[in-house]
Amino acid sequence: MDKVIIPQEENKTTDGQQKVMYAPNDDGKFETFKYGSSVEEYATTLAVEEYNILMEQSKQDILSFKSSPIEYFMYKNRMDIPTLASVVGRFQFTVKRHSKYRHFQKLSNKVLLQYADAFDITLDELKGLKFDS
Amino acid sequence: MTADFKHQQFAHCESGVVSTLLSSYGLKISEPMAFGITSSLSFVYLPVIKLNGLPLIAYRDLPKNIINKISKVLGIKIKKEKFSDPIKANARLTKLIKDEKKLVGLQTSVFYLPYMPENMRFHFNAHNLLVYGKKNNVYQVSDPVFEDVVECEESKLTRARFAKGAFAPKGFLYYPEDISNSIELKYAIRKAIKKNAKSMLTPFPYAGIKGMKRLARKIETLYQEDTKYIQLFLTHIVRMQEEIGTGGGGFRFLYAAFLKEAMEYDIDNFVLEKSSVLFVKSGNVLREFALLCVSGSKNLEKLNLEQISNKLREAIFYEEEAYRMLKKV
Repeated sequence: MDKVIIPQEENKTTDGQQKVMYAPNDDGKFETFKYGSSVEEYATTLAVEEYNILMEQSKQDILSFKSSPIEYFMYKNRMDIPTLASVVGRFQFTVKRHSKYRHFQKLSNKVLLQYADAFDITLDELKGLKFDS
Repeated sequence: MTADFKHQQFAHCESGVVSTLLSSYGLKISEPMAFGITSSLSFVYLPVIKLNGLPLIAYRDLPKNIINKISKVLGIKIKKEKFSDPIKANARLTKLIKDEKKLVGLQTSVFYLPYMPENMRFHFNAHNLLVYGKKNNVYQVSDPVFEDVVECEESKLTRARFAKGAFAPKGFLYYPEDISNSIELKYAIRKAIKKNAKSMLTPFPYAGIKGMKRLARKIETLYQEDTKYIQLFLTHIVRMQEEIGTGGGGFRFLYAAFLKEAMEYDIDNFVLEKSSVLFVKSGNVLREFALLCVSGSKNLEKLNLEQISNKLREAIFYEEEAYRMLKKV
Protein backbone atom coordinates (compact mmCIF):
# COMPACT_ATOMS: atom_id res chain seq x y z
CA MET A 1 0.00 0.00 0.00
CA ASP A 2 1.12 3.54 -0.72
CA LYS A 3 2.40 5.42 2.28
CA VAL A 4 0.46 8.43 3.39
CA ILE A 5 2.73 11.43 3.58
CA ILE A 6 2.23 12.95 7.02
CA PRO A 7 3.67 16.48 6.87
CA GLN A 8 5.65 17.50 9.95
CA GLU A 9 6.17 21.15 9.21
CA GLU A 10 5.75 24.17 11.41
CA ASN A 11 2.37 25.84 11.49
CA LYS A 12 2.42 29.01 13.56
CA THR A 13 -1.27 29.76 13.13
CA THR A 14 -2.54 27.03 15.46
CA ASP A 15 -0.95 28.35 18.68
CA GLY A 16 0.87 25.12 19.42
CA GLN A 17 -2.15 22.89 18.80
CA GLN A 18 -1.67 20.08 16.34
CA LYS A 19 -4.41 18.70 14.13
CA VAL A 20 -4.77 15.04 13.23
CA MET A 21 -5.21 13.13 9.98
CA TYR A 22 -5.77 9.47 9.07
CA ALA A 23 -3.00 7.21 7.82
CA PRO A 24 -2.35 3.48 7.98
CA ASN A 25 -0.14 2.25 10.84
CA ASP A 26 2.42 -0.55 10.49
CA ASP A 27 -0.33 -3.19 10.44
CA GLY A 28 -2.14 -1.39 7.63
CA LYS A 29 -4.95 -0.26 9.95
CA PHE A 30 -5.90 3.40 9.80
CA GLU A 31 -5.51 5.60 12.85
CA THR A 32 -5.06 9.30 13.55
CA PHE A 33 -1.62 10.92 13.43
CA LYS A 34 -0.66 14.42 14.46
CA TYR A 35 0.62 16.61 11.65
CA GLY A 36 1.70 20.16 10.88
CA SER A 37 1.27 21.55 7.39
CA SER A 38 3.01 24.57 5.90
CA VAL A 39 0.40 24.69 3.14
CA GLU A 40 -2.34 25.05 5.72
CA GLU A 41 -0.31 27.73 7.45
CA TYR A 42 0.05 29.56 4.16
CA ALA A 43 -3.69 29.36 3.47
CA THR A 44 -4.60 30.66 6.93
CA THR A 45 -1.98 33.41 6.97
CA LEU A 46 -3.12 34.54 3.57
CA ALA A 47 -6.71 34.87 4.74
CA VAL A 48 -5.63 36.86 7.80
CA GLU A 49 -3.32 39.01 5.65
CA GLU A 50 -6.16 39.80 3.29
CA TYR A 51 -8.17 41.41 6.08
CA ASN A 52 -5.12 43.37 7.26
CA ILE A 53 -4.72 44.82 3.77
CA LEU A 54 -8.41 45.72 3.65
CA MET A 55 -8.13 47.39 7.08
CA GLU A 56 -5.14 49.44 5.95
CA GLN A 57 -6.98 50.50 2.78
CA SER A 58 -10.04 51.39 4.83
CA LYS A 59 -7.91 53.46 7.22
CA GLN A 60 -6.61 55.53 4.29
CA ASP A 61 -10.16 55.98 3.00
CA ILE A 62 -11.38 57.14 6.40
CA LEU A 63 -8.57 59.67 6.64
CA SER A 64 -9.61 61.04 3.26
CA PHE A 65 -13.31 61.12 4.31
CA LYS A 66 -14.42 58.43 1.92
CA SER A 67 -15.16 55.49 4.21
CA SER A 68 -16.76 55.28 7.63
CA PRO A 69 -15.53 53.47 10.77
CA ILE A 70 -18.16 50.81 10.07
CA GLU A 71 -16.08 49.60 7.15
CA TYR A 72 -12.92 49.54 9.24
CA PHE A 73 -14.48 47.55 12.08
CA MET A 74 -16.16 45.23 9.60
CA TYR A 75 -12.78 44.16 8.27
CA LYS A 76 -11.31 44.13 11.79
CA ASN A 77 -13.97 41.58 12.70
CA ARG A 78 -13.16 39.64 9.53
CA MET A 79 -16.60 40.24 8.06
CA ASP A 80 -17.74 41.17 4.58
CA ILE A 81 -20.87 43.12 3.56
CA PRO A 82 -23.21 40.08 3.38
CA THR A 83 -22.12 38.84 6.82
CA LEU A 84 -22.42 42.24 8.47
CA ALA A 85 -25.79 42.83 6.80
CA SER A 86 -27.02 39.57 8.27
CA VAL A 87 -25.69 40.44 11.76
CA VAL A 88 -27.39 43.85 11.90
CA GLY A 89 -30.47 42.61 10.03
CA ARG A 90 -30.32 45.10 7.17
CA PHE A 91 -30.11 44.98 3.39
CA GLN A 92 -26.65 44.74 1.88
CA PHE A 93 -27.05 48.00 -0.04
CA THR A 94 -27.97 49.78 3.21
CA VAL A 95 -24.85 48.48 4.94
CA LYS A 96 -22.80 49.47 1.91
CA ARG A 97 -24.14 53.03 2.23
CA HIS A 98 -23.45 53.11 5.95
CA SER A 99 -19.86 52.21 5.27
CA LYS A 100 -19.45 55.49 3.40
CA TYR A 101 -18.40 58.56 5.36
CA ARG A 102 -21.19 60.78 4.00
CA HIS A 103 -24.01 58.51 5.17
CA PHE A 104 -22.34 57.55 8.42
CA GLN A 105 -22.49 61.18 9.58
CA LYS A 106 -26.28 61.14 9.40
CA LEU A 107 -26.87 57.89 11.29
CA SER A 108 -28.77 57.98 14.58
CA ASN A 109 -27.29 56.57 17.77
CA LYS A 110 -29.84 53.79 17.66
CA VAL A 111 -28.53 52.51 14.35
CA LEU A 112 -24.93 53.07 15.34
CA LEU A 113 -25.48 51.05 18.50
CA GLN A 114 -26.55 48.08 16.38
CA TYR A 115 -23.26 48.23 14.57
CA ALA A 116 -21.32 48.70 17.80
CA ASP A 117 -23.00 45.57 19.20
CA ALA A 118 -22.14 43.64 16.07
CA PHE A 119 -18.48 44.56 16.56
CA ASP A 120 -18.59 44.05 20.34
CA ILE A 121 -17.45 47.64 21.03
CA THR A 122 -19.03 50.71 22.65
CA LEU A 123 -20.77 53.49 20.78
CA ASP A 124 -17.92 55.88 21.62
CA GLU A 125 -15.34 53.50 20.24
CA LEU A 126 -17.25 53.34 16.98
CA LYS A 127 -17.87 57.06 16.66
CA GLY A 128 -14.51 58.21 17.95
CA LEU A 129 -12.28 56.01 15.83
CA LYS A 130 -8.92 57.79 15.57
CA PHE A 131 -5.68 56.76 13.97
CA ASP A 132 -2.24 57.92 15.09
CA SER A 133 -0.56 59.21 12.03
CA MET B 1 -29.96 7.38 28.37
CA THR B 2 -26.82 8.72 29.97
CA ALA B 3 -23.48 9.14 28.30
CA ASP B 4 -20.14 7.55 29.02
CA PHE B 5 -17.98 10.31 27.62
CA LYS B 6 -14.31 10.38 26.66
CA HIS B 7 -12.71 13.22 24.69
CA GLN B 8 -10.97 12.30 21.47
CA GLN B 9 -9.31 14.36 18.77
CA PHE B 10 -10.55 13.94 15.21
CA ALA B 11 -9.69 15.05 11.69
CA HIS B 12 -13.04 16.67 10.94
CA CYS B 13 -15.43 18.35 13.35
CA GLU B 14 -18.79 16.99 12.23
CA SER B 15 -17.86 13.33 11.78
CA GLY B 16 -15.84 13.56 15.01
CA VAL B 17 -18.75 14.90 17.04
CA VAL B 18 -21.11 12.27 15.66
CA SER B 19 -18.59 9.53 16.42
CA THR B 20 -18.06 10.59 20.04
CA LEU B 21 -21.75 11.28 20.57
CA LEU B 22 -22.99 7.90 19.36
CA SER B 23 -20.11 5.96 20.93
CA SER B 24 -20.74 7.61 24.29
CA TYR B 25 -24.32 6.40 24.25
CA GLY B 26 -23.24 2.85 23.42
CA LEU B 27 -23.31 2.70 19.63
CA LYS B 28 -19.66 2.38 18.67
CA ILE B 29 -19.08 4.27 15.43
CA SER B 30 -15.64 5.46 14.35
CA GLU B 31 -15.07 8.78 12.65
CA PRO B 32 -14.35 7.26 9.20
CA MET B 33 -17.50 5.14 9.58
CA ALA B 34 -19.63 8.20 10.44
CA PHE B 35 -18.18 9.99 7.41
CA GLY B 36 -18.47 7.09 4.98
CA ILE B 37 -21.84 5.69 5.96
CA THR B 38 -23.42 9.08 5.30
CA SER B 39 -21.79 9.21 1.82
CA SER B 40 -20.11 12.50 2.67
CA LEU B 41 -17.25 12.49 0.18
CA SER B 42 -17.87 15.02 -2.52
CA PHE B 43 -16.52 17.51 -4.96
CA VAL B 44 -18.22 20.63 -6.20
CA TYR B 45 -16.90 23.35 -8.49
CA LEU B 46 -19.56 25.99 -9.06
CA PRO B 47 -18.34 29.04 -11.01
CA VAL B 48 -21.82 30.61 -10.75
CA ILE B 49 -21.62 30.97 -6.98
CA LYS B 50 -18.92 33.48 -6.12
CA LEU B 51 -17.08 33.83 -2.82
CA ASN B 52 -15.25 37.15 -2.87
CA GLY B 53 -15.48 37.01 -6.65
CA LEU B 54 -14.05 33.49 -6.92
CA PRO B 55 -15.91 30.25 -7.66
CA LEU B 56 -17.13 27.89 -4.97
CA ILE B 57 -14.94 24.79 -4.63
CA ALA B 58 -15.88 22.18 -2.03
CA TYR B 59 -14.30 18.83 -1.20
CA ARG B 60 -17.11 17.35 0.87
CA ASP B 61 -20.85 17.47 1.23
CA LEU B 62 -22.70 20.43 2.72
CA PRO B 63 -22.35 21.10 6.45
CA LYS B 64 -24.85 19.22 8.63
CA ASN B 65 -25.08 16.46 6.05
CA ILE B 66 -23.69 13.86 8.46
CA ILE B 67 -26.00 14.76 11.34
CA ASN B 68 -29.03 14.84 9.08
CA LYS B 69 -28.30 11.54 7.36
CA ILE B 70 -26.89 9.41 10.16
CA SER B 71 -30.22 8.76 11.88
CA LYS B 72 -31.76 7.56 8.64
CA VAL B 73 -28.95 5.26 7.54
CA LEU B 74 -28.57 3.72 11.00
CA GLY B 75 -32.27 3.64 11.87
CA ILE B 76 -31.75 5.53 15.13
CA LYS B 77 -33.45 8.58 16.59
CA ILE B 78 -31.58 11.82 17.08
CA LYS B 79 -33.32 14.71 18.77
CA LYS B 80 -32.62 18.00 17.02
CA GLU B 81 -33.67 21.38 18.35
CA LYS B 82 -33.50 24.89 16.95
CA PHE B 83 -34.22 28.12 18.79
CA SER B 84 -35.12 31.69 18.01
CA ASP B 85 -34.47 33.00 21.53
CA PRO B 86 -30.86 32.81 22.80
CA ILE B 87 -31.96 32.87 26.47
CA LYS B 88 -34.27 29.89 25.99
CA ALA B 89 -31.58 28.09 23.99
CA ASN B 90 -29.09 28.54 26.80
CA ALA B 91 -31.59 27.45 29.45
CA ARG B 92 -32.41 24.34 27.46
CA LEU B 93 -28.74 23.44 27.09
CA THR B 94 -28.15 23.92 30.81
CA LYS B 95 -31.13 21.73 31.64
CA LEU B 96 -29.95 18.94 29.33
CA ILE B 97 -26.44 19.06 30.73
CA LYS B 98 -27.19 19.55 34.43
CA ASP B 99 -30.52 17.81 35.05
CA GLU B 100 -30.55 15.11 32.42
CA LYS B 101 -26.76 14.58 32.43
CA LYS B 102 -26.70 14.42 28.65
CA LEU B 103 -23.86 14.84 26.21
CA VAL B 104 -25.04 17.41 23.67
CA GLY B 105 -23.78 18.33 20.20
CA LEU B 106 -23.90 21.96 19.09
CA GLN B 107 -23.49 23.84 15.85
CA THR B 108 -21.54 27.07 16.36
CA SER B 109 -19.58 29.77 14.62
CA VAL B 110 -15.80 29.55 14.85
CA PHE B 111 -15.29 33.29 15.19
CA TYR B 112 -16.88 33.76 18.61
CA LEU B 113 -15.23 30.82 20.37
CA PRO B 114 -12.73 32.36 22.80
CA TYR B 115 -10.48 29.29 22.95
CA MET B 116 -9.87 29.29 19.17
CA PRO B 117 -6.43 30.50 18.14
CA GLU B 118 -6.69 34.11 16.93
CA ASN B 119 -5.50 33.31 13.41
CA MET B 120 -8.12 30.63 12.91
CA ARG B 121 -11.13 32.70 13.88
CA PHE B 122 -13.25 33.29 10.79
CA HIS B 123 -16.99 33.60 10.23
CA PHE B 124 -17.50 29.96 9.50
CA ASN B 125 -20.84 28.97 10.99
CA ALA B 126 -20.88 25.22 10.63
CA HIS B 127 -18.46 24.18 13.33
CA ASN B 128 -19.51 21.33 15.61
CA LEU B 129 -18.60 20.63 19.23
CA LEU B 130 -19.84 18.74 22.27
CA VAL B 131 -20.82 20.07 25.68
CA TYR B 132 -20.39 17.58 28.52
CA GLY B 133 -20.66 19.66 31.68
CA LYS B 134 -21.15 23.04 33.29
CA LYS B 135 -19.50 24.66 36.29
CA ASN B 136 -21.07 27.94 37.41
CA ASN B 137 -21.22 29.98 34.21
CA VAL B 138 -18.67 28.01 32.28
CA TYR B 139 -19.47 25.18 29.90
CA GLN B 140 -17.10 22.25 29.62
CA VAL B 141 -16.54 21.65 25.94
CA SER B 142 -15.10 18.82 23.90
CA ASP B 143 -14.03 20.34 20.60
CA PRO B 144 -13.16 17.47 18.25
CA VAL B 145 -10.32 19.24 16.47
CA PHE B 146 -8.55 20.13 19.75
CA GLU B 147 -6.04 17.95 21.55
CA ASP B 148 -7.79 18.32 24.90
CA VAL B 149 -11.08 19.44 26.41
CA VAL B 150 -11.63 23.19 26.69
CA GLU B 151 -13.88 25.59 28.58
CA CYS B 152 -16.18 28.27 27.28
CA GLU B 153 -18.04 30.98 29.13
CA GLU B 154 -21.83 30.84 28.88
CA SER B 155 -22.38 34.20 27.15
CA LYS B 156 -19.59 33.54 24.63
CA LEU B 157 -20.95 30.15 23.72
CA THR B 158 -24.46 31.55 23.32
CA ARG B 159 -23.08 34.21 20.99
CA ALA B 160 -21.34 31.52 18.91
CA ARG B 161 -24.61 29.56 18.76
CA PHE B 162 -26.48 32.56 17.43
CA ALA B 163 -23.99 33.90 14.92
CA LYS B 164 -25.58 35.29 11.76
CA GLY B 165 -24.72 34.86 8.11
CA ALA B 166 -24.45 31.84 5.82
CA PHE B 167 -25.30 28.54 7.57
CA ALA B 168 -26.46 30.46 10.68
CA PRO B 169 -26.68 27.85 13.46
CA LYS B 170 -29.81 29.28 15.17
CA GLY B 171 -28.89 27.59 18.42
CA PHE B 172 -28.98 24.15 16.81
CA LEU B 173 -28.37 21.32 19.29
CA TYR B 174 -28.68 17.55 18.99
CA TYR B 175 -28.38 14.33 20.98
CA PRO B 176 -29.35 10.69 20.39
CA GLU B 177 -32.75 9.71 21.74
CA ASP B 178 -33.02 6.06 20.86
CA ILE B 179 -30.25 3.89 19.45
CA SER B 180 -31.76 0.51 20.28
CA ASN B 181 -33.07 -0.24 16.80
CA SER B 182 -29.93 0.40 14.83
CA ILE B 183 -29.95 -1.58 11.60
CA GLU B 184 -27.31 -3.99 10.44
CA LEU B 185 -24.21 -2.15 9.36
CA LYS B 186 -23.30 -4.38 6.45
CA TYR B 187 -26.26 -3.31 4.30
CA ALA B 188 -26.05 0.33 5.30
CA ILE B 189 -22.35 0.44 4.41
CA ARG B 190 -22.82 -1.21 1.04
CA LYS B 191 -25.65 1.12 0.17
CA ALA B 192 -23.66 4.17 1.29
CA ILE B 193 -20.61 3.20 -0.79
CA LYS B 194 -22.69 2.69 -3.94
CA LYS B 195 -24.54 5.93 -3.35
CA ASN B 196 -21.36 7.94 -2.90
CA ALA B 197 -19.73 6.42 -5.99
CA LYS B 198 -22.81 7.20 -8.05
CA SER B 199 -22.95 10.79 -6.86
CA MET B 200 -19.29 11.29 -7.76
CA LEU B 201 -19.93 9.91 -11.25
CA THR B 202 -22.94 12.17 -11.79
CA PRO B 203 -23.45 13.56 -15.30
CA PHE B 204 -23.99 17.01 -13.75
CA PRO B 205 -20.96 18.93 -15.11
CA TYR B 206 -20.07 20.88 -11.95
CA ALA B 207 -19.96 18.06 -9.40
CA GLY B 208 -17.97 14.90 -8.78
CA ILE B 209 -15.42 13.71 -11.32
CA LYS B 210 -16.88 15.99 -14.00
CA GLY B 211 -16.51 18.97 -11.68
CA MET B 212 -12.88 18.08 -10.97
CA LYS B 213 -12.18 17.79 -14.70
CA ARG B 214 -13.80 21.15 -15.28
CA LEU B 215 -11.60 22.72 -12.63
CA ALA B 216 -8.52 21.13 -14.23
CA ARG B 217 -9.51 22.63 -17.58
CA LYS B 218 -10.10 26.00 -15.98
CA ILE B 219 -6.59 25.99 -14.48
CA GLU B 220 -5.07 25.37 -17.92
CA THR B 221 -6.92 28.32 -19.44
CA LEU B 222 -5.86 30.70 -16.66
CA TYR B 223 -3.10 31.89 -19.00
CA GLN B 224 -5.64 34.20 -20.60
CA GLU B 225 -6.30 36.02 -17.33
CA ASP B 226 -4.15 38.72 -15.79
CA THR B 227 -1.52 37.73 -13.24
CA LYS B 228 -3.41 39.13 -10.26
CA TYR B 229 -6.39 36.91 -11.01
CA ILE B 230 -4.18 33.85 -11.53
CA GLN B 231 -2.61 34.43 -8.16
CA LEU B 232 -5.99 34.89 -6.48
CA PHE B 233 -7.43 31.83 -8.16
CA LEU B 234 -4.59 29.52 -7.15
CA THR B 235 -4.53 30.71 -3.56
CA HIS B 236 -8.30 30.41 -3.46
CA ILE B 237 -8.03 26.74 -4.41
CA VAL B 238 -5.48 26.25 -1.65
CA ARG B 239 -7.70 27.96 0.91
CA MET B 240 -10.78 25.98 -0.06
CA GLN B 241 -8.81 22.76 0.07
CA GLU B 242 -6.54 23.30 3.06
CA GLU B 243 -8.47 25.49 5.42
CA ILE B 244 -12.01 24.40 4.83
CA GLY B 245 -11.15 21.02 3.35
CA THR B 246 -9.28 19.68 6.40
CA GLY B 247 -5.75 19.45 5.11
CA GLY B 248 -5.45 18.67 1.43
CA GLY B 249 -6.49 15.13 0.88
CA GLY B 250 -7.82 14.94 4.43
CA PHE B 251 -11.24 13.77 3.33
CA ARG B 252 -9.69 11.31 0.90
CA PHE B 253 -7.66 9.68 3.69
CA LEU B 254 -10.77 9.64 5.84
CA TYR B 255 -12.62 7.80 3.08
CA ALA B 256 -9.72 5.38 2.57
CA ALA B 257 -9.92 4.60 6.28
CA PHE B 258 -13.65 4.03 5.96
CA LEU B 259 -13.22 1.57 3.08
CA LYS B 260 -10.60 -0.30 5.04
CA GLU B 261 -12.93 -0.54 8.03
CA ALA B 262 -15.77 -1.63 5.75
CA MET B 263 -13.71 -4.74 4.89
CA GLU B 264 -14.63 -6.17 8.30
CA TYR B 265 -18.20 -6.52 7.07
CA ASP B 266 -17.45 -8.92 4.23
CA ILE B 267 -18.73 -6.88 1.30
CA ASP B 268 -16.31 -7.11 -1.62
CA ASN B 269 -12.94 -7.04 0.01
CA PHE B 270 -10.95 -7.09 -3.22
CA VAL B 271 -12.63 -3.93 -4.48
CA LEU B 272 -12.56 -2.20 -1.08
CA GLU B 273 -8.86 -2.84 -0.58
CA LYS B 274 -8.01 -1.70 -4.08
CA SER B 275 -10.05 1.49 -3.90
CA SER B 276 -8.74 2.29 -0.43
CA VAL B 277 -5.24 2.31 -1.96
CA LEU B 278 -6.49 4.55 -4.77
CA PHE B 279 -7.88 7.08 -2.30
CA VAL B 280 -4.57 7.17 -0.42
CA LYS B 281 -2.90 7.92 -3.75
CA SER B 282 -5.42 10.63 -4.54
CA GLY B 283 -4.99 12.20 -1.09
CA ASN B 284 -1.23 12.35 -1.49
CA VAL B 285 -1.53 13.81 -4.98
CA LEU B 286 -4.00 16.45 -3.80
CA ARG B 287 -1.45 17.65 -1.26
CA GLU B 288 1.21 17.89 -3.98
CA PHE B 289 -1.37 19.77 -6.04
CA ALA B 290 -1.83 22.28 -3.21
CA LEU B 291 1.95 22.66 -2.86
CA LEU B 292 2.22 23.40 -6.58
CA CYS B 293 -0.54 26.01 -6.32
CA VAL B 294 1.30 27.68 -3.45
CA SER B 295 4.70 27.77 -5.16
CA GLY B 296 3.07 28.84 -8.44
CA SER B 297 1.30 31.79 -6.89
CA LYS B 298 4.40 32.84 -4.96
CA ASN B 299 6.65 32.69 -7.97
CA LEU B 300 4.74 33.66 -11.08
CA GLU B 301 7.77 33.45 -13.36
CA LYS B 302 8.14 29.75 -12.74
CA LEU B 303 4.41 29.15 -12.83
CA ASN B 304 3.51 26.10 -14.86
CA LEU B 305 -0.26 25.87 -15.13
CA GLU B 306 -0.13 22.70 -17.18
CA GLN B 307 1.84 20.95 -14.47
CA ILE B 308 -0.68 22.02 -11.81
CA SER B 309 -3.60 20.96 -13.94
CA ASN B 310 -1.98 17.59 -14.64
CA LYS B 311 -1.48 17.01 -10.92
CA LEU B 312 -5.20 17.42 -10.40
CA ARG B 313 -5.86 15.10 -13.35
CA GLU B 314 -3.72 12.48 -11.65
CA ALA B 315 -6.00 12.59 -8.61
CA ILE B 316 -9.02 12.46 -10.89
CA PHE B 317 -7.61 9.39 -12.61
CA TYR B 318 -7.23 7.48 -9.31
CA GLU B 319 -10.62 8.52 -7.99
CA GLU B 320 -12.51 7.77 -11.18
CA GLU B 321 -11.12 4.25 -11.21
CA ALA B 322 -12.14 3.79 -7.57
CA TYR B 323 -15.68 5.07 -8.08
CA ARG B 324 -16.22 2.86 -11.12
CA MET B 325 -15.32 -0.18 -9.03
CA LEU B 326 -17.24 0.92 -5.95
CA LYS B 327 -20.39 1.57 -7.93
CA LYS B 328 -20.68 -2.15 -8.51
CA VAL B 329 -19.93 -3.59 -5.05
